[in-house]
Amino acid sequence: MTDEYNVLDGLYYTKEHEWAKKLDGNLVAVGVDDYAQKQLHEIVYVELPSVGAEVAMREAIGAVESVKAVSDMYSPVGGKVVEVNDGLLDSPELINDDPYGEGWIAKIEASSLDADLGKLMDAKAYREFLKSL
Amino acid sequence: MELKKTHIYGYHAEHGNVVDFGGFAMPVWYEGIQAEHKAVREACGIFDTSHMGRTWAEGPDTVKFLNYLVTNDVGKLEPFGGLYTVMCKPAGGIVDDLILYKFTPERFLVVYNASNRDKDFKWMKKNSKDFQVKLTDVSDKVAMIAVQGPKAEETLQKITEGDLSGIKRFNIGEVTVSGEKCLAARTGYTGEDGFEVFVLECPAEKPDKAMKIWNDLVGAGAVPCGLGARDSLRLEAGLWLYGNDIDESINPLEAGLRWTVKFKKPGYFVGQRALQTIKDEGVSKTLVGVMLEERGIPRHGYDVLDLEGNEIGVVTSGGLSPTLDVGIAMAFVPPGFSEIGTELQVKIRKNLVKGKVVKHRPFYDETVYGWKRDKK
Repeated sequence: MTDEYNVLDGLYYTKEHEWAKKLDGNLVAVGVDDYAQKQLHEIVYVELPSVGAEVAMREAIGAVESVKAVSDMYSPVGGKVVEVNDGLLDSPELINDDPYGEGWIAKIEASSLDADLGKLMDAKAYREFLKSL
Repeated sequence: MELKKTHIYGYHAEHGNVVDFGGFAMPVWYEGIQAEHKAVREACGIFDTSHMGRTWAEGPDTVKFLNYLVTNDVGKLEPFGGLYTVMCKPAGGIVDDLILYKFTPERFLVVYNASNRDKDFKWMKKNSKDFQVKLTDVSDKVAMIAVQGPKAEETLQKITEGDLSGIKRFNIGEVTVSGEKCLAARTGYTGEDGFEVFVLECPAEKPDKAMKIWNDLVGAGAVPCGLGARDSLRLEAGLWLYGNDIDESINPLEAGLRWTVKFKKPGYFVGQRALQTIKDEGVSKTLVGVMLEERGIPRHGYDVLDLEGNEIGVVTSGGLSPTLDVGIAMAFVPPGFSEIGTELQVKIRKNLVKGKVVKHRPFYDETVYGWKRDKK
């Protein structure tokens, strides 16, 4: 089954199907992964976190919705939201088209980057996790 | 538990995204909810509704029995006429909403919700004891396909002998579709013109007749639609979904179904005393339509608040209207908040989103969409 889902090497993943990608310094891009977008299918609405918001790891920071279902988005790391992807407001389908690229949701300045990433799964572990679903 | 399979399951398994819906293996979508929704609003979509309940009521007391069972007046129906109604518990709660089709005074077809199949049949059986009426559950022996949209008649006519235009809204007729004996009722659950085709003598184990009709409809240009589009279409039309908007804790007077309760019809009906009391004393809540004025998607169970932030009600059905591209909902609120134009708020996760009470049966402009639309 895992062949159906694209899991990128170098990213970190949660059991709730979010991803985190290390950028410069403590900056991390976050989004929902290919599994999440395929489960939701046509994404029609995204609720973004507020820029400047202090968020804890695993705190609900937004939501991704299809016509039929809503999926809460939990922050994979703790820190401060420094940027959000406003393009998703008009084009939520970017998450379907490119969940790890154009479909990114927020950038977070992580407060304990290594500790948080250490609690997430790497691509290999996440592929194993998807097999278990 | 193994899921029940309808007549059309073979098609769903091959082409659809199949889920457990009330114990039935049913498609949520084939290509996508939005495209399927659009096909029904603009052209023609088809739905497998074979999971619904279908029972024949026959015998000299059929009219008397049905008038005792349901709230609407069965006596006024002409042969080949259909009637939307609810049936209630003695305390007034809704057992189910259903459609009755009259063929003769001694022969009616009763069509009810899939999720209530067993419950409804038992309820009908239990209430039929004092009447000369025979109830025959044919849910597994008759297939059902809904053909819906402004091009429904044109599409179904391509594979039908006999003139469909002779079947008026909410009536039913005997037709031959793809060479098979069927009944076609001009009803549906989308707000659009269309038919619900009953494929007779078609057991679920031997579904060839129904599969042939389904495939012929696809060949004639109809777009197969799943439960996702069925739900978004019925929500835009402001139609009730049992288990969401109505259930046994809700009475028809508060659910906007006052028009289906005929207190003055002959004889007594189950729930009449309780409903009369509720009518005399007034309802404590009422089902309204809400349209959001800010971004957000209201959903079942979300709280409704007044502008001061007091909780006043709850969303029973909600979603993003694909046609209007705005969040719409049905919600219970106190009668004082039911006027069209009343401002209120819906709590969506942490946010309070502003909305207004609107005309909601249907939510869309009836000159542009739906069965009453201006013909081009």
